[in-house]
Amino acid sequence: MAAVFTVFFFSSGLQAQDGAKLFKQNCAVCHVSHGDQKLTGPGLKGVFDRAPKGDWLTKWVLNSEKVIKSGDAYANKIYGENGKAAMTVFEGQLSPKDIEAVLAFIKAPAPVAVVAPNASTAQSGEPVQNGGSIEPLYLLLGVLIILAILLVALRSVRTSLQNTSNRVEGKDELPDVTFWQEVKNWISGNRRLVGVLSIILIFVGMKSCWDACYNIGVYYNYRTQVGYKPEQPIKFSHKVHAGDNEIACQYCHNSVEKSRHAGIPTVNVCMNCHKGITTGPQYQGVEIGKIYAAAGFDVKTGTYDNSKQNPLRWIKVHNLPDHVYFNHSQHVVVGQVACATCHGDLKTMTVAEQKAPLTMKWCIECHRQTEVSMQGNAYYDRLHKALKEKYAGQYDVKFTVDKIGGLECTKCHY
Amino acid sequence: MSMSKKYWKGLPELHNSPEFQEQQKNEFAEALPMEEFLSSDEAQASGTSRRDFLKVMGFSTAAVALAACETPVNRAIPYVVKPEEVTPGVANFYATTFYDGHDYASILVKTREGRPIKIEGNDFKGLLHSGTNARVQASILGLYDSARLRGPWLNGGEATWSSVDQKVATSLAGANIRILSSTIISPSTKAVIAEFIAKHPTTKHVTYDAISYSALTKANKNVFGEAVVSSYDFSKAKIVVGIACDFLGNWISGEEFSKGYAKNRKVSKENPDMSQHFHFESTLSLTGANADYRYMVKPSELGKVTAALYNEIASATGNSKVAGDTKIASPDATAAIKKAASKLVDHKGKSLVVSGVNDEGIQTLINGINKMLDNYGKTVDVENHLNLKQGDDKEFTDLVAEMASGKVNVLITYNCNPVYTAPASLKFAEAYNKVSTRISFSQVLDETSQLATIICPDHHYLESWGDANPKLGMYTLQQPTINPVFAQPRYEGTRQFQDAILKWSGSKIDYLAYLQGYWNNRVFPNQGKYTDFPTFWAHSLHDGVVKIAIRKETPVTPLPQDSTGVLMAGVATPFLESDTNSVAPTAEAPKSKKAAEAVVVQNLPTPDYAKAAAMATSVKGAELELFIYEKIGLGNGNQSNNPWLMELPDPISKVTWDNYITMSPIDVKAMGLREMLRQDIDGSIVDLTVNGITIQVPVYPQPGQAPGSIGLALGYGRKAESLKVANNVGVNAFSLLEIANGTIQPIATKVSITKTGEKHRFAATQIQHTIMGREEYLLREVSLKEFKNNDKTYWNPPVELPTHEGGKQHVSEVDLWAAHPRPGHKWGMSIDMNLCFGCGACVVACTSENNVAVVGKLEVSRVRDMHWLRIDRYYSSEMNTRKGKEEGLGSKEMYIEMENPSANPQVTFQPMMCQHCNHAPCETVCPVLATSHSTEGLNMMTYNRCIGTRYCANNCPFKVRRFNWFNYSGNTDFADVNPAQQELGRMVLNPDVVVRSRGVMEKCSMCQQRLQAGKLEAKKAGTPVKDGAIKTACQAACSTNAIIFGDLNDSESVVTKERNDERTYFLLEDIGIKPTTSYKVKVRNQDEQIIFPEEVAKAGEHKQAGEEKHS
Repeated sequence: MAAVFTVFFFSSGLQAQDGAKLFKQNCAVCHVSHGDQKLTGPGLKGVFDRAPKGDWLTKWVLNSEKVIKSGDAYANKIYGENGKAAMTVFEGQLSPKDIEAVLAFIKAPAPVAVVAPNASTAQSGEPVQNGGSIEPLYLLLGVLIILAILLVALRSVRTSLQNTSNRVEGKDELPDVTFWQEVKNWISGNRRLVGVLSIILIFVGMKSCWDACYNIGVYYNYRTQVGYKPEQPIKFSHKVHAGDNEIACQYCHNSVEKSRHAGIPTVNVCMNCHKGITTGPQYQGVEIGKIYAAAGFDVKTGTYDNSKQNPLRWIKVHNLPDHVYFNHSQHVVVGQVACATCHGDLKTMTVAEQKAPLTMKWCIECHRQTEVSMQGNAYYDRLHKALKEKYAGQYDVKFTVDKIGGLECTKCHY
Repeated sequence: MSMSKKYWKGLPELHNSPEFQEQQKNEFAEALPMEEFLSSDEAQASGTSRRDFLKVMGFSTAAVALAACETPVNRAIPYVVKPEEVTPGVANFYATTFYDGHDYASILVKTREGRPIKIEGNDFKGLLHSGTNARVQASILGLYDSARLRGPWLNGGEATWSSVDQKVATSLAGANIRILSSTIISPSTKAVIAEFIAKHPTTKHVTYDAISYSALTKANKNVFGEAVVSSYDFSKAKIVVGIACDFLGNWISGEEFSKGYAKNRKVSKENPDMSQHFHFESTLSLTGANADYRYMVKPSELGKVTAALYNEIASATGNSKVAGDTKIASPDATAAIKKAASKLVDHKGKSLVVSGVNDEGIQTLINGINKMLDNYGKTVDVENHLNLKQGDDKEFTDLVAEMASGKVNVLITYNCNPVYTAPASLKFAEAYNKVSTRISFSQVLDETSQLATIICPDHHYLESWGDANPKLGMYTLQQPTINPVFAQPRYEGTRQFQDAILKWSGSKIDYLAYLQGYWNNRVFPNQGKYTDFPTFWAHSLHDGVVKIAIRKETPVTPLPQDSTGVLMAGVATPFLESDTNSVAPTAEAPKSKKAAEAVVVQNLPTPDYAKAAAMATSVKGAELELFIYEKIGLGNGNQSNNPWLMELPDPISKVTWDNYITMSPIDVKAMGLREMLRQDIDGSIVDLTVNGITIQVPVYPQPGQAPGSIGLALGYGRKAESLKVANNVGVNAFSLLEIANGTIQPIATKVSITKTGEKHRFAATQIQHTIMGREEYLLREVSLKEFKNNDKTYWNPPVELPTHEGGKQHVSEVDLWAAHPRPGHKWGMSIDMNLCFGCGACVVACTSENNVAVVGKLEVSRVRDMHWLRIDRYYSSEMNTRKGKEEGLGSKEMYIEMENPSANPQVTFQPMMCQHCNHAPCETVCPVLATSHSTEGLNMMTYNRCIGTRYCANNCPFKVRRFNWFNYSGNTDFADVNPAQQELGRMVLNPDVVVRSRGVMEKCSMCQQRLQAGKLEAKKAGTPVKDGAIKTACQAACSTNAIIFGDLNDSESVVTKERNDERTYFLLEDIGIKPTTSYKVKVRNQDEQIIFPEEVAKAGEHKQAGEEKHS
């Protein structure tokens, strides 16, 4: 619904855009592209004026150590000025062409971030309520009420018409039975139909109760696709980070391949980038300031005060009960499941929300459908052979997770 | 198959009285209190009718259901700066050293998110002390003991470290200082104390062990001139004779000895050699229970047995005999001494005689025996001695006398609790109060620190730096596995002993720097592997152990300092140089082995065996004698506040949460005491008077206890309010210890017992889980002779069922259901009953790994203990079916005859956990499919599906399922005993295992979490699971490898090989449950026949007859 559009304007076209991307991936951790603020390395504003001309910069980026060792005066000067912290060697990672692109990006005027004017309510980060369209259930109820009113009205119309006609014909007026009496009469006349209908009603009611029980505590609504979306202590946007800036999920959730937990990034991981990126497109540094407060970081002096550290208390969006064991590394490394399969396309989410129901049914459905990639993993060799023998001669057999015991209780509950 | 012996699980089963039979019919040991509840006055008074009850019930159910609809908000709080080595969800292991003054072990500590949760043995190659016993396994809980002090105390109130240091500084000046500690095996700590003594020359360091080995060291001084504890190699001993020596349990280093002993107990057709073990003792010990031949002698006769054995061997080897009264009442034992002696002489150099009695005379004679048998340098080694157990009783008693006379101004106690452990006759507390400054380093407010003027709580060992030199040439390092739990700013914090002593010595560096300096100076120069110290240090820390070729004593001297007072500053002073500079008497040039021997020979004293014999036989026998012993669970009592150890059943009596008088059932009957229909029901309390001290103790009838003697265990009877678990549990037997022949002796002869008429409720874990009298199908055993001379069908016959055609079919071929394939893994376990000595380390390891609840004494006595793994202990009986038949007894008479308890039973230990039956009876009766079978062959228990019908437990033939009667992790009734309820205690929980709640069944999962983790590792690495990569907690804790776990689909795995061994059999195989766990037939190295062929035939007939009757 709501989105933040961060638009970059470039004067030097495609190359600079590539350069921007490369810069973000490789350089931004240590350098500011268009400012003179010092991170680990110096700010690159005016670098073309101070550095030796020619291809010195390219050589430097490729292998700074070599340049220093060659006794280059300027190289040794800046090496000394920056606390003798060696710059990463990019030889092998970046081609000279890439470096040209990066340099073109640095040379180009600073990109301007423009905030889309339609940024609206959702940015407050509050859980988004269902809004807009009318629920079909309410529609149905409305129709029923109208029908009921119609029924009563029509009945009285019918009664008065009948009475009028009776009066005209000289017959007795209809006995003044109440509506309720009439219903009872009708019921006693149609016992079988009513009986069947009420049994159906009872069963439908029980079934819906049963279904409702399954959804207790499930922050998921099948109709609206809106999940649990709590307000977080920092209005962190996955869209800005993973979407616009294309930071890989694993950069922040770095234990996803090692551990059962994907890991919520620790403040020092945030600081890797935000030591330099002090303002954001949306809140002009207010939210980023919360990271500094947590890290005990003083932006002005660029120093940390460990005594002022204060951990961030994020709200867990994806909750599993304690009796479930789930392991991220199992699914991401062995099963090669993409993050988005369970977490949705976070690249478009301003506020993270739960996209999958995380019910056991949902787990099992996936385990029934997902094939195990046994090829090339020696662990499965014996199992694969045995399964091939077992299902020999059958067509269309897929070695899905459930075939190797993926539905067994103690695979997840112990 | 059938055997001549009948086994019974306890006296009630043997008696088989009507009451017992009635009990057996009940599903639960005691009636459920439904009636009581419904008819209680309270319920009546409240006037709640059934209708009202249902109304309230309905409302509250609805209210709870509604309230449950909203899930609470969960927070996720990441680190601010993540430590590099920590990944949430991934365990780290650190090698460190456990030493508490009593037990020593080199261990690996498993930590999760920075907190230690499990102890494993460090199986680094070549490490002798890699086993962990129950106490070492449980020690992790001590870290989270809420009784631990949070900061220093001064004059009975909390104080700050600066005020304490100030006070100490003024007290130390010019004072007569004594440091009292248990044996210190840390060379750097010894050096730290030497620094202190250098600064305060009026200081003397006295070593005192609560459970003393003083006589052993004295004897070695008498015979070899060195007051040390020799090292023992049981793996080379073919004949072992133990005289009241619990070397498989508590004696010196039980787990190490078990490991060696087990090497000679693992028999197979290919290697049918086995050691033979004779044991003489009064109280049935773990070691006695595992002996091939065990004889009961009264405590006063232990010395006589030793002297008699000495004389037998002396006459056989041409040495001179010793005089003295060697007459023993039991003719069996007398004959056995002759037999043992002749076997020992036949196995010169391959035998071992040991005694655990702390008597100089006995120990000197033992040394003489081993010398005559040429065992020195082979099975016993004085030269490569152990550094453990250096306590000197004489020094201690002298110190107490000195204190009583008021000559001591400052007493520093470290790693000991003498007010609790000193014999009452010493009047230690009185003498202690005469010392003006009493400094205690206790971690808790124990008996000693309660009386101390200054308490400087030490770090827990998992928070400490340190080192250990348990054996000549072997060094292990200790590193902190967690930051101190109690530290600034929240608490004043704890402080390591060594840091305090260094500070009080005026040192400018802390202990870590000192330790590194020490290693740089004294260890690093003597190894040849690494050339620079930082690399050496890093590798030593990683491995946890360093072995040094130059085996010589490290000098106990302060380290050399440079002019600024900073130690050595990274200068690696070679060992030898520092030695020659120092004045230490041990500072000699390294000598070759031969030269060393020459030196020893030169200094050898002439041992006076006659004097020793006089000493050993000096104890006068009495009508009733007391032997004070050490329990597997509590040891010397320093960990008695540990609920895991309190709830660990004693391996022999199976009683928890108690100590008691063990008395022969014959004596119990003769004295008219309660014989206890059920062991978990009442016993008699008696007044026990020993040397004028009277205490009230319950009596427990213990087969195997020598008639005319009683036993009492140490470690109980703590008197310290803050120790909520231990306080006032049992009685303190330390106070009854006597000092005789200059040592603290476990034997008392001035003993009397009077009845009080009071009752005592025991909480025993065995008896309630009987196996319905089908012991034949549970415990197979054979004598070594029969094992060698006959083939498998004789002593381990296949279980066959008769067919309608008159033939026989193996039970595994008779099947109602189609077999399920196990295409991937097929987990299996094999348990060798020859190697299981019953030590209980696995039980504690299982508790620790699987978050097993502690339920407390009351619940155990209601047979609601929660251990997933138990060790069944079976006694044998003299009467058996063959004998009954021979004597022409009818079955009734025969069982009546069986009522006579065997005075000295043979004992078998059988670890019992879920057998993961492939046709599991529990699975078929679960109405909600909460227990089912996996494709990997395991029986799965799904807690969140369980509705608590308990049908499965009822249907389990092994009775290994445990029901959560209460929410042990939440119910305040269990707050004191259950670590999961304490803010600190719950940190010990394994985060990969669910904490079960009320109303669900639980049982052994074969450490499913470890299987899943091991499989995941293999999948990620893209390799098959390596055999041995996945170990269950019980397997990892077992130092004798009695438990083997692995994949049966892997033809190369150890468990597959074990499974194919001829000794393998399955429990209750005849009922067709197809267990996944197999056992191996126990082989006893005895001449007596165990299996009688006609019985084998008869068992088949009987079976057939039974079948016909049913059809």
